[in-house]
Amino acid sequence: MNSPQPASPQSAITLPAGFAHLMPFSHWSLATETERTRMRNTSAFADIVAFKDAMLADVDAIVAYLNGFELDAMPPPEAALMYMLLSLAEVAPAVEAYQQPGVIDGYEFSRFVADEKFVMRPPI
Amino acid sequence: MNKVIKLHLHDRYPELGKGPVPVEPYISTAYYDKEQARIFKKTWLHVGRVEEIPAAGDYFVKDLEACEASIIVVRDKQGAINAMHNVCSHRMNQIVYEKRGQARKFFCKFHGWAYDLQGNLTGVPEEGSFFDLDKCDHGLSRVACEVWQGFIFINLDPTPELSLAQFLQPMFGDIEGYPFDKITTGFQWTTVVNCNWKLALDAFQEAYHVAYVHGHSIADAIDTAEDGAMPPLDALCGQFHRRLSIAGNPKSVYGNPNAVTAGGAEASKAIADSAVKKPIAAAALRAGMGAASYHFRKEDLPKGMNWTGHENWLFDINVVFPDFYLSLRPNYFQAYNFRPISQGKTLLEARVYYPEMKTAGGRFYLEYMKVALRDVLLEDLSTLERTQSAVQTGVKKEMILQDYELLVRHGAHVVDRIVNEETKA
Repeated sequence: MNSPQPASPQSAITLPAGFAHLMPFSHWSLATETERTRMRNTSAFADIVAFKDAMLADVDAIVAYLNGFELDAMPPPEAALMYMLLSLAEVAPAVEAYQQPGVIDGYEFSRFVADEKFVMRPPI
Repeated sequence: MNKVIKLHLHDRYPELGKGPVPVEPYISTAYYDKEQARIFKKTWLHVGRVEEIPAAGDYFVKDLEACEASIIVVRDKQGAINAMHNVCSHRMNQIVYEKRGQARKFFCKFHGWAYDLQGNLTGVPEEGSFFDLDKCDHGLSRVACEVWQGFIFINLDPTPELSLAQFLQPMFGDIEGYPFDKITTGFQWTTVVNCNWKLALDAFQEAYHVAYVHGHSIADAIDTAEDGAMPPLDALCGQFHRRLSIAGNPKSVYGNPNAVTAGGAEASKAIADSAVKKPIAAAALRAGMGAASYHFRKEDLPKGMNWTGHENWLFDINVVFPDFYLSLRPNYFQAYNFRPISQGKTLLEARVYYPEMKTAGGRFYLEYMKVALRDVLLEDLSTLERTQSAVQTGVKKEMILQDYELLVRHGAHVVDRIVNEETKA
């Protein structure tokens, strides 16, 4: 229960039917904070904004849909969408605070290591 | 607001003085050697939460360079938590190689000596070939281990001068009862920072830096005075420990964490103001409302929290001597250890704990809050190595502290007092 589900290879990702239009952004479907942070910090800001715009337009619908599933038992398409929702949280500071991908004058992100196996972490 | 009578926090603590503070303790190896001997090997040190090792045989290992020790922390069959040195009684090999795991017994991989979960020696291969070996005399070396409010502390001193309760209660007795046991979803980050441990901790012991270091991120979450300053609500300094109380801006999502569990008016304040400026923040708050596994009410908090009773109270910083930073909010808390590896190297283990969220929306809110906090930490950490390098130039011998940096002064004062106590070895 405590280890994140492995991310599917990008080619294998499917999203729930109602959210298939988000497929162009499925490279943001990443299972761990480490991967999401790296994606944010290595993406062009315009690409981050495009992802944010697409997700934000549907965010309440995504949340309402995913709320119908247990966090520790999400089928792969719902988990894939959940990871994209977590990526939206990941890019929030980039677009709402810094106006650039990384933290302004910040400590090197890759030196601040998220413990993906921490025993008290949530199931997803 | 009121500029007529300016009362200083410092006035309450005349023994701390108001003058410049020497920076030699940040860069002196001789000073660090004394800190190791007189503080880190003699003081209660926080090593984790009881929820990390819920079942008998669950253990973790802490390598404490500051104490030159590797310590096993394990729950035994009676439910007690024990700590012992990770050193075999036979020929000293480390008993446990993994950092975390589950064991029925500990077996040394060198010659197979076996120890139970209390450290008793229970098995010796070819026992008859040893000379008058009494297994009762050769258990693992135990280390004092006590629990306060679910936090596990160890003490390398074989006969600690104070019990953990005696150590903590004078400053923190009236925050006992905070719902730590309801806030059981945790995240951890680690990093090794090339700076002295006190310099790292100091960056977290005042809010004067917020408008600058956090000017792009959470400065809007802190309550500001008319002149733009962010004065703390109050500060408390004791024999070892210290506290600082901070007010938040209820119109921001990050500055009003109560909104997600209180809902209602609290939430609408935060959502209305954020919807335009920070739409992801507002979406996360909408998603998170009602998702927590436990209903938190400000009025249920122990009386020592928000001890000034301020309506916009955001959080209290609690610094547990020597190196444990515990920041308590109405419904989540942060626990950071600034543990020295050497004079100029510090291991930061930063954790944040939230209530368990039952829904995807609640999980989205947690991720928003966690990422915002993590980026704030990246801002906090950005100055440390630069400051350390600057101190090491030797150009400046002292730092100048303002009233609201009282905790920095108190931290330096307590360390210096203990380092210079001649009676201790």
